[in-house]
Amino acid sequence: MTHRFEGLRWTLPAHVYAAPLDLYAGLDLSAPQLEHELQRLSYHPVADLEQPGTYRVTGTRIDVALRAVQFADGSRPATVLSVLFGPTGIQDLRDSTGREVPVTRLDPLLIGSLFPIDGVDRIVVTPQEVPPLLPAALKAVEDRSFDTNRGVDPLAILRAFWVDLRSRRFEEGGSTLTQQLVRSYFLSNRQTLGRKAREAVMAVSLAAHFSKADLMNAYINEIFLGQDGNRSIHGFGLASEFYFGKPLSELDLPQIATLVAIVRGPTYYDPRRHPQRTLARRNLVLKILTEQGVVKPAEAQVAQRQPLAVTSGASGAYYPAYLELVRRTLQRDYPEKELTEAGLRIYTSLQPRAQELAERSLDAQLQTLDKRHHRRDAKLEGAVVVTSPQSGDVLAIVGARQVDFDGFNRALDARRSIGSLVKPFIYLTALETGRYNAATVVQDQPVSIKLATGRYWRPENFTRRTYGPVPVVRALAESLNLATVGVGMDVGLDKISDTLTRFGLEQPPQQVPAMLLGAIDISPLEVAQLYDGLANGGFRTPLRAVQAVVSADGKPLKAFPLQVTQVAPTADVYEVDSMLEQVMTHGTGVPAMRILPPGLVTAGKSGTSSQDRDSWFAGFSGGDLTVVWVGYDHYQPTGLTGSEGALPVWAHLMASLGTRPLEMPEPEGVTDTWIDYQTGMGAQPGCPGAVPVQVALPTGTQVTPMAGCGTGTTAGTLLNRAGQWLHRLAH
Amino acid sequence: MKQMIVVALAVGFLASCAVLSPPQQQTPESTPGNPQGPGSSRAPGAAGGTQAPSQTAPTPPPPVPQQRQFALGAAAASLVGTAHMQEQSRNYGVAAETLERALSIEPHNPLVWIELGRENILAGNPAQAYGMGRKALYLASGDPHAQASAWELIAASLRAQGRNDEAYAAEERAVALSPN
Repeated sequence: MTHRFEGLRWTLPAHVYAAPLDLYAGLDLSAPQLEHELQRLSYHPVADLEQPGTYRVTGTRIDVALRAVQFADGSRPATVLSVLFGPTGIQDLRDSTGREVPVTRLDPLLIGSLFPIDGVDRIVVTPQEVPPLLPAALKAVEDRSFDTNRGVDPLAILRAFWVDLRSRRFEEGGSTLTQQLVRSYFLSNRQTLGRKAREAVMAVSLAAHFSKADLMNAYINEIFLGQDGNRSIHGFGLASEFYFGKPLSELDLPQIATLVAIVRGPTYYDPRRHPQRTLARRNLVLKILTEQGVVKPAEAQVAQRQPLAVTSGASGAYYPAYLELVRRTLQRDYPEKELTEAGLRIYTSLQPRAQELAERSLDAQLQTLDKRHHRRDAKLEGAVVVTSPQSGDVLAIVGARQVDFDGFNRALDARRSIGSLVKPFIYLTALETGRYNAATVVQDQPVSIKLATGRYWRPENFTRRTYGPVPVVRALAESLNLATVGVGMDVGLDKISDTLTRFGLEQPPQQVPAMLLGAIDISPLEVAQLYDGLANGGFRTPLRAVQAVVSADGKPLKAFPLQVTQVAPTADVYEVDSMLEQVMTHGTGVPAMRILPPGLVTAGKSGTSSQDRDSWFAGFSGGDLTVVWVGYDHYQPTGLTGSEGALPVWAHLMASLGTRPLEMPEPEGVTDTWIDYQTGMGAQPGCPGAVPVQVALPTGTQVTPMAGCGTGTTAGTLLNRAGQWLHRLAH
Repeated sequence: MKQMIVVALAVGFLASCAVLSPPQQQTPESTPGNPQGPGSSRAPGAAGGTQAPSQTAPTPPPPVPQQRQFALGAAAASLVGTAHMQEQSRNYGVAAETLERALSIEPHNPLVWIELGRENILAGNPAQAYGMGRKALYLASGDPHAQASAWELIAASLRAQGRNDEAYAAEERAVALSPN
């Protein structure tokens, strides 16, 4: 037994961290936003900077006492940073000596653990990380003879026996800290006399072999202190994060007293469920500490007046949907046991701010939609994926309305028909043949295709109307089914399938005509991978949730470096993107214009599956790509198109992210050109009877000007661009 | 009223161009972390910034200059410097992570992509370096200097893969774009 205890080794779950926020002069971050970020990391405001984990606001300056932290690529000692704010964000960063700091990082937020099947989660702390008050308080409250006893305290047992005899049940344990440690480490929790005898023998043996300091450290790391769903909270290190959101070393007297109170019965004294009861016990602990001379009466009196101050919920920084993606990424490289027991530190791409906003946008918009489209038999569900297209970083994942519930993860596992989200890839394939461009007039007319079964497939437009001759840009912007099927059949299903595969579709789609209207069932995350190539100028960047894995002792084990592969000509993708911008200004994305801030250029596409079972929107700005799905789990029709269901979620989220406008460098081979949206003919702004839109066309394309409109290929001057921009603002 | 708002916003936008445009021909990308900086390539002034218009000028600004010159902002430059030191001690994985931080600050700056590509060549990943070279070339539109650097990276990545003829052709593209 002592051998087993020798190394004082616990199975250590992997700890998962969000991406740390880089701070630098020029960053568009206001003082309140930095405060919010600091509070998320459980930094608290003080009048005078004291220990790490505090900050002070003075006018337009925030001084932060940063904690010592371990990043994926090294560590940083505790340090003081002064952040000066100007009208557009951070103006200046200085260290404690007044020297300019070009760039520095906040702490990576702990967002969860990958723990083994038994649910044991723990953060191990060294004796140096333990405030001296904690062992003193534990001894005073739980085991006054700890320093001198030999693992058991006969007097305490007799006292407990007397109490139990009087009440005719086991009320008081009389266990020493060593006995409690033995019980937690080796034995079940059943209170039987036989077990208590074994416990006593083992405690004596442990006490004979190990120093008091080792036993105290083991106790502090071992003991059970709470339950969070199927996760059990072990050790004071994790309990401190779980209840107060900060490291153990930063706890004050009332907080330490609260944890000591919880030791007696983590379920009974659960500070979130039973605050009154826990508060009373905490104050009793404070009274005992005063009586035992551990704290001064005046300190205890002040502490007794403090509220419990536990964080609002265990889920404060707990993102199960994202953690699931992390787990799946790593399962390819690590056996389950190593993943959950080796104390790995996993650094992810999660951006807490984006995650928070994505959760909020989905919840708020679904509540609004529920009121309008209420069904008694089902509740609307949704999923959101936010990525950074340039790096492929997955910034946020929302897998359900109820975000803290570790259940069905729709972002990863709901494989739903993508509807018109497929159309940009059909038109991209068409452009690649060289036979089509954004101004090419195609026919939106009834289509009848004989299937392999001998039956005929006769798709319809959403409006059940036909639109006749329309330019490609309008066919895509308004998501015209008949025109698209015509183009798709002409281009070839095999070529379109190839395009989708190049962009990252995992399984080649079934090559049937219905594929042209999006009869392809994939998850929101896979849609994000497909659209990443569009947002990225035709370069595919594999999406990644994990950036690096580091061993418990800080050694780099595995990195997931950024990768980039060109999968389509930049000129063709630029042309498709120029049409996806028109989706936002003239097509199915128009409702977003009321929500997005003026000047925020975006490109996107709606998707609606048959009978409105799935409502999608996928789109991007210059900094963020967001995919939203809204629907019912059991495939009931929602009565919502992509523009009605998913688009409001998308637009509110994009508006709140503070994202940068879409900014694409014009590649060689294409020229921005003004054409009439209705006819595809050349038409400058102000041309009577025209709806001028600017799209990219292969350089040298001859566009017939509309009568009285002049030539169409005059793009490129700032004046023209200003005209387009002002047109958008006025829209 | 709407028109007045539009005009006011336009003046504000142009004014912000002036503020955001440093004198040394810096691009929007070189103003790091300014998510609301000059707009899309389809919006006015997107490629601009090389000649700052007057803050109060209500008249249309001068035409977009055809050329621009990318530069690194202070934060990205500092991280690139750190990455170079990490490369010297053969800490390639850590250097890549440092450069990716620079990239998250200036994702549209081809110079950061070129640095990341060079690091990949040092680390023995020429195929990845090639992808980054193509990406840098795409982003370097309008900046012959950055385009030449991107072609040099592409050439180096091809040479490292034994694709010497293609490497030679890429080098020629680089030379043709280089001012000297």
